[in-house]
Amino acid sequence: MTSMKKLLLILLLMGTTLFAESNTGITMPYIDFPMKEGKGMYSTKGKCNMCHSWGYTINQGLQSKKFWREKVTKMIVVFKAPIRTQKDIDTVVDYLFENYGNGEME
Amino acid sequence: MERRDFFKKAITVAGTAAVGGITLEAGETVHPIDNRKVSNIAFPQKRPLITYSDRPPLLESPRDVFTSALTPNDLFFVRWHMPIIPTYINPGKFTISINGLLDREIKVSLKELKTQFEQVELTAVLQCGGNNRTAFKPTASGIQWGVGAMGCAKWKGVRLRDVLKKAGLKKEAAWIGFNGEDKAVYNETANFVRELKLEHLNDNIILAYEMNGEDLPYLNGYPLRLIIPGTYSDSWIKMISNITVTKERQKLHFMDHAYRIPDNECECETPENLVQKTKPIEEMNVNSIIGYPVTGTKVRSAAELIVRGVAFDSGHGIKKVQISIDGGNMWEEALLDDGSEGKYAYRAFTYAFKPKNSGKLTIMCKASNEKGEAQPFAKDIKWNHGGYKYNGIDEVTVEVVL
Repeated sequence: MTSMKKLLLILLLMGTTLFAESNTGITMPYIDFPMKEGKGMYSTKGKCNMCHSWGYTINQGLQSKKFWREKVTKMIVVFKAPIRTQKDIDTVVDYLFENYGNGEME
Repeated sequence: MERRDFFKKAITVAGTAAVGGITLEAGETVHPIDNRKVSNIAFPQKRPLITYSDRPPLLESPRDVFTSALTPNDLFFVRWHMPIIPTYINPGKFTISINGLLDREIKVSLKELKTQFEQVELTAVLQCGGNNRTAFKPTASGIQWGVGAMGCAKWKGVRLRDVLKKAGLKKEAAWIGFNGEDKAVYNETANFVRELKLEHLNDNIILAYEMNGEDLPYLNGYPLRLIIPGTYSDSWIKMISNITVTKERQKLHFMDHAYRIPDNECECETPENLVQKTKPIEEMNVNSIIGYPVTGTKVRSAAELIVRGVAFDSGHGIKKVQISIDGGNMWEEALLDDGSEGKYAYRAFTYAFKPKNSGKLTIMCKASNEKGEAQPFAKDIKWNHGGYKYNGIDEVTVEVVL
């Protein structure tokens, strides 16, 4: 029992030393940002959420159709998002505007 | 509200601003959103914060953090651009590469930084250019921050100038590019690279490995980040691992399009007439915020209430902070701390008084700096498409009970 206690103490001290001298890295949490149900949701999910959280998208605020179209274009042109056909672009823009729009076309 | 009505109203509120002979319609500005709650999920090395995204992490400090000159590391806001961030960095192996137009390209380890260069300490405010973006109507482009995309810390590290000196700048060197360890999902996506004009290099710009006496938290850029006191934080690259010196500036989305404001006197525009000529946001505006009480706090009438908050600017120095409890007609000076953290730090302020009548009471704070600039009322802040540089007079509304 005494030797067991000694061993525990040694392990404890070792643990303290390790903690002081190095870091063990971090584990990032997953946060769920639910998407509004609507036409094009699954397509949008696949195209946007592959690279970033849905939170990043919806925390741009409610926006015009022109805004969402420009954002999607920026994702393709600047950030190289693989959204290739006009139909796919329209699906994503329509979903965003229908569900996260401000009612304004421009 | 119909769009036409909106602009009619906006013009009534703010009038029209004539800039360089062009008449601009004014956008509308309100107080930023101030009632968001912290998440129930804490990120590593952080207490729960207002959470906008996990990939990349975007975390905002709640208002009640802003009562002291230094912001605790675990309450400090977080903003990354790229979603993939290393979750483990071996400090024994980490190096930063210095390359480009130099006499010799070098790699410097953390240990070398800590032992072969003069160690410097400096307290500075780190604020996102889009802090308070929710104040701008119509909604400006970007993350819809409330009041807490900022913090102030004591940074320890080495001067960027000293590190560059060791590598030896070539005569034609004109730009310094910075890149960190965060990455996009696709290899084709350009990294978040920022550049500094060599002529803007000064002794206050440091490569910091310590924040408030501790290693940097991972989410604030462990093990090394750039500190550029007095400027908004768009160039304060986190997990910085590469510095490239060039003659010409590279073409970069985050330099050419993001973090820019209209290059006119009011730094403003309207959604209908976006200004083509833009400039980087750079120097921070004079600003202040009340950390206590917050909106909704119940206080006793006739009992002493101590208002606490912080004020800062880009380094000219805070001259005074004033408090109004009558909607901005009468202003009384708050007490400022001794300013020992330096001109790039928060000045903590206090203002004690006894509320008289019961009911709702609005408390406002306004900072002025040594340059003679003072915060405008929120409604007088002019719109810009990126929602940058908001510095409207802050206010909280408490409930006074008998």
